[in-house]
Amino acid sequence: MKSIIQHTGGLSLLFPIPTTTAGGSTCAAALRSLQRAHRLQSVGMSAGDSEGTAGRPEEEEGPRQAGPSLPAVELPRKRKGDVEERSDDHVQQSLDFEMEDDLSRSEGEDQQVKMKCFREPHRQIEKRRRDKMNNLIDELSAMIPACQPLTRRLDKLTVLRKAVHHLKGLKVGSSGAFTDTNHKPSILHQDDLRHLLLSAADGFLLVVSCDRAKILFLSESVSKILNFSQLELTGQSLFDFIHPKDINKVKEQLSSAELHPRQRLIDATTGSQVQADSPVRASHLSTGARRAFFCRMKHSRLAGNHEDKRPMPSSFKKKDSYRYCTLHCTGYMRSWPSSQMDPEGEAEKETSYLSCLVMVCRLHPHVSHHPPKDITVKPTEFVTRCAIDGKFTFVDQQATTVVGYLPQEVLGTSCYEYFHQDDLQHLAETHRQVLRSKEKIETQRYKFKTKHGSYVSLQSQWFSFTNPWTKEVEFIVSSNRVISRGPGHTKDEEEAIGSKALQEDTKQIPIIPGLSSGLGTMIYAGSIGTQIANELIDTYRMNSSPSSGASSPFGSAQEKCPLVSPQTSRSASSREDTAGSSSLSQSDSRTAAGTSSGTSESTGEPSQLDLDNMVVPGLSSFSNDEAAMAVILSLLETDISMGQSGQFEDLHWPF
Amino acid sequence: MTADKEKRRVISREAARKRRQVESEVFRDLSRLLPLQPSVRSNLDKPSVIRLTLSYIRMHALLKVNFATEAETSQSVKYGDVLEGGEEVCDGGQDGGEKETEEATEEASGETQLHLSTLEGFLMVLSSEGDMVYLSDNVSKYMGLTQTELMGHNIFDFTHPSDHEEIRFNLQRMSEGVWCGATRTFVLRIKSTLTQRGRSTNLKSATWKVLHCQGRVRVCSAPSAGSCLLLTCQPLPLSHTLLSSHTFTSQHSMDMRFTHCDQRVTLLLGYSPVELLGRSIYDLCHTLDTDCLTKNHLNLCFKSQSVSGQYRMLVRGGGYVWVESHCAVIPSVRASKSRFRSYQPLCILCVTYILSGVEEPSLLLSLDQTINRYLS
Repeated sequence: MKSIIQHTGGLSLLFPIPTTTAGGSTCAAALRSLQRAHRLQSVGMSAGDSEGTAGRPEEEEGPRQAGPSLPAVELPRKRKGDVEERSDDHVQQSLDFEMEDDLSRSEGEDQQVKMKCFREPHRQIEKRRRDKMNNLIDELSAMIPACQPLTRRLDKLTVLRKAVHHLKGLKVGSSGAFTDTNHKPSILHQDDLRHLLLSAADGFLLVVSCDRAKILFLSESVSKILNFSQLELTGQSLFDFIHPKDINKVKEQLSSAELHPRQRLIDATTGSQVQADSPVRASHLSTGARRAFFCRMKHSRLAGNHEDKRPMPSSFKKKDSYRYCTLHCTGYMRSWPSSQMDPEGEAEKETSYLSCLVMVCRLHPHVSHHPPKDITVKPTEFVTRCAIDGKFTFVDQQATTVVGYLPQEVLGTSCYEYFHQDDLQHLAETHRQVLRSKEKIETQRYKFKTKHGSYVSLQSQWFSFTNPWTKEVEFIVSSNRVISRGPGHTKDEEEAIGSKALQEDTKQIPIIPGLSSGLGTMIYAGSIGTQIANELIDTYRMNSSPSSGASSPFGSAQEKCPLVSPQTSRSASSREDTAGSSSLSQSDSRTAAGTSSGTSESTGEPSQLDLDNMVVPGLSSFSNDEAAMAVILSLLETDISMGQSGQFEDLHWPF
Repeated sequence: MTADKEKRRVISREAARKRRQVESEVFRDLSRLLPLQPSVRSNLDKPSVIRLTLSYIRMHALLKVNFATEAETSQSVKYGDVLEGGEEVCDGGQDGGEKETEEATEEASGETQLHLSTLEGFLMVLSSEGDMVYLSDNVSKYMGLTQTELMGHNIFDFTHPSDHEEIRFNLQRMSEGVWCGATRTFVLRIKSTLTQRGRSTNLKSATWKVLHCQGRVRVCSAPSAGSCLLLTCQPLPLSHTLLSSHTFTSQHSMDMRFTHCDQRVTLLLGYSPVELLGRSIYDLCHTLDTDCLTKNHLNLCFKSQSVSGQYRMLVRGGGYVWVESHCAVIPSVRASKSRFRSYQPLCILCVTYILSGVEEPSLLLSLDQTINRYLS
């Protein structure tokens, strides 16, 4: 692909492309001279952008046969740049034309082309730089207020001059932030940086002495996280503010002696646990051993400020008048001259050096994993996890309030035992469906038998958990909520339904076609799930060879796969096709990205390399798995269509 | 005719040179106004000058708006609060700035630097288009590229193509006003020119570095500033993690089944290492946290490193504890532990931190728990 582009690019030089020589603005002209000056730099610089533009044939129209620096070409080139945007389409057209032509070109001309090719990347670079510069200038003019009201596009120089003015204005405004010569100049004022840091991470800096866990320093941002002021905490013992159950944990982190036998370093690249160096106690503390741990700290609800109203997200338990926030603390052991770090400066005077733990404590952002749309539990909801055959393996405590059973009463039994017969058909169908789908599937309203024998109306959202690696369905998660009757329903009605259901239940009339009515409800109800699970397992078994073959390639083109293909072999081969093409595109994109797996190989990063080679191709496509799913689906489909009535007869019940 | 043409050329050449001179002068002015170190400044090319100027102006607009519309921001953050639960209101008057003495500035600077260095990460401000408007100067420690090299560039040029969609997703939700102040947590792969020996190579031979980005959206009302994403980007250092008694390590096959677990798990969760072998981590977690673990698993499969976030692990005898796992894919099972699945070329190493005590210890949530309860 790339070479074709280069070829055509070179070819375009051989063609007299019509050039428009309309008058230009000074901007572009000035730009051009500038770009030439920066040609060299841009080669190095634009590496980052190159991926984006490498594939795009970019043309600078007009003949440029002469050497790049000859002044004779200067003039026409200048003018043409101005209309570039307009003539781009035109160039594109002619390029398309050349592309076709390229194929029928003779060998001799190819030679010529190759020579021209040398200059082609350079032209692309030129064009890219020009575009980039124009974009930058446009952006700049958009940012500067002085350029705003003007509708006319300003020339470069004007924009730059206004930018200079604007910057000068900013400097005056920002009270000597950048004039201060003591520090090395930094883009942001330290105060602003601190502000940003605080906004980005809900954390504070904490320095604790190791011997007595005295809080030596806290950044003032602590007030926003723990609702204690900086002054309230400084000088106090850290343990007074830590969850009682976490005190030992923190103690362990602060003490050096305790840690030695347990200290283990894990090398992520090899996975081996590196034994820590010889345990020299003194050096251990002072050399900055890393610490990372979680602990809960008190959050004051007092102080009566606005924060009172806000619920703290990470509080686990209310104890006394405190709640606790989970903090992720990372930091290093340090030896510090005590006078420097101790704001009061009295207590630690006798020791010239003080061992302390410097850490950043961040509020644990656990909420982000549960966006509101995801499953959350309301009082009338409970969550269950079923094996693929519908056997409960996990039941939320909330279930007790809704259906009356204790989790341990329900666990291990099949969900079908609780369904009302009227709903069995629908629920079995949904069950079958959910095993084949990645989507969350909403059931219809159905009746679930409670502990007291009555039925409660539930509606569930089911989804099957597919292991990302094996792509096999492991279990089904069901979030169930009680459906309150509409306003028309009265409680009497509800009870009536319940009692009616009870009656029906005693009658035990099987409704599923093909099932003999002689068996007990409980036994066959559970078997429905087993049957459905077996269907799935069978399809896994049948597909085991194609699915294992498909573990490395993958397809972004799963749409091409027939959703319901009658033959397994056919769909398998078509999958191979798509897999082939996609792995091609994968390698394409990888080279385009300018990052070489080869380099990671040479730098000896085995984990990275291995992943690239086998994990990413294997997994980045959950699409392929969709293809596999399509096969399963098709198999199931045929199963169902063939043996909807007959399949149950073939089964040998153990009873 | 030719003479005339020649003359015109000479004139235009002269004019062009003058123009160039003027332009260079303006560029020089501009770069002088940027708060850069002289060594950096002298090496800037013109696009870079504009790029940095742009970032500088944007940052200024951003900060100005932040200070000016403090009340407004906290309002929006509070709204986010209701949705997400855990937002922090940016501070009010304490950064007044007027009464700041030199000393205070000095102290603040020291604190901020200490904070940054202890954080083990860098700060990044992303525009809604993905432009890296600001990066703290310690970025070079993590990416090899310097602050001035990166600022103003687009993050998509430096991140793994497969991660672009996720980044875009995180940026996109930002423009929806509802998510003001919403937190963000994601893992991405970014180019790093650092070699294993810590030396910097060129961008062409950059490798991917996995970064854990956490932060929140900042919405600015001023049109020039736009909304931005404030992120701290930290590498995930599974190596050199000091383990405490409230932490256990485990190894898993790629489908998250235990292949090895250290003994501390018995003390913390009740399971013996042997009985965990072959069991999936998904069987041990609270069902409500399946999504969180799936995300973690996917991150591991794609990016080789991940942080699980907080989830609940079931305790053997009943109840659950809140934990967080930091995981990495490592190439092979160690020889000593390779009794099981020794053919498996990859495995997942997890360091799991226990975050809470056992909650609701009498509660039996899973089938395994009931079996364990009544068998033992």
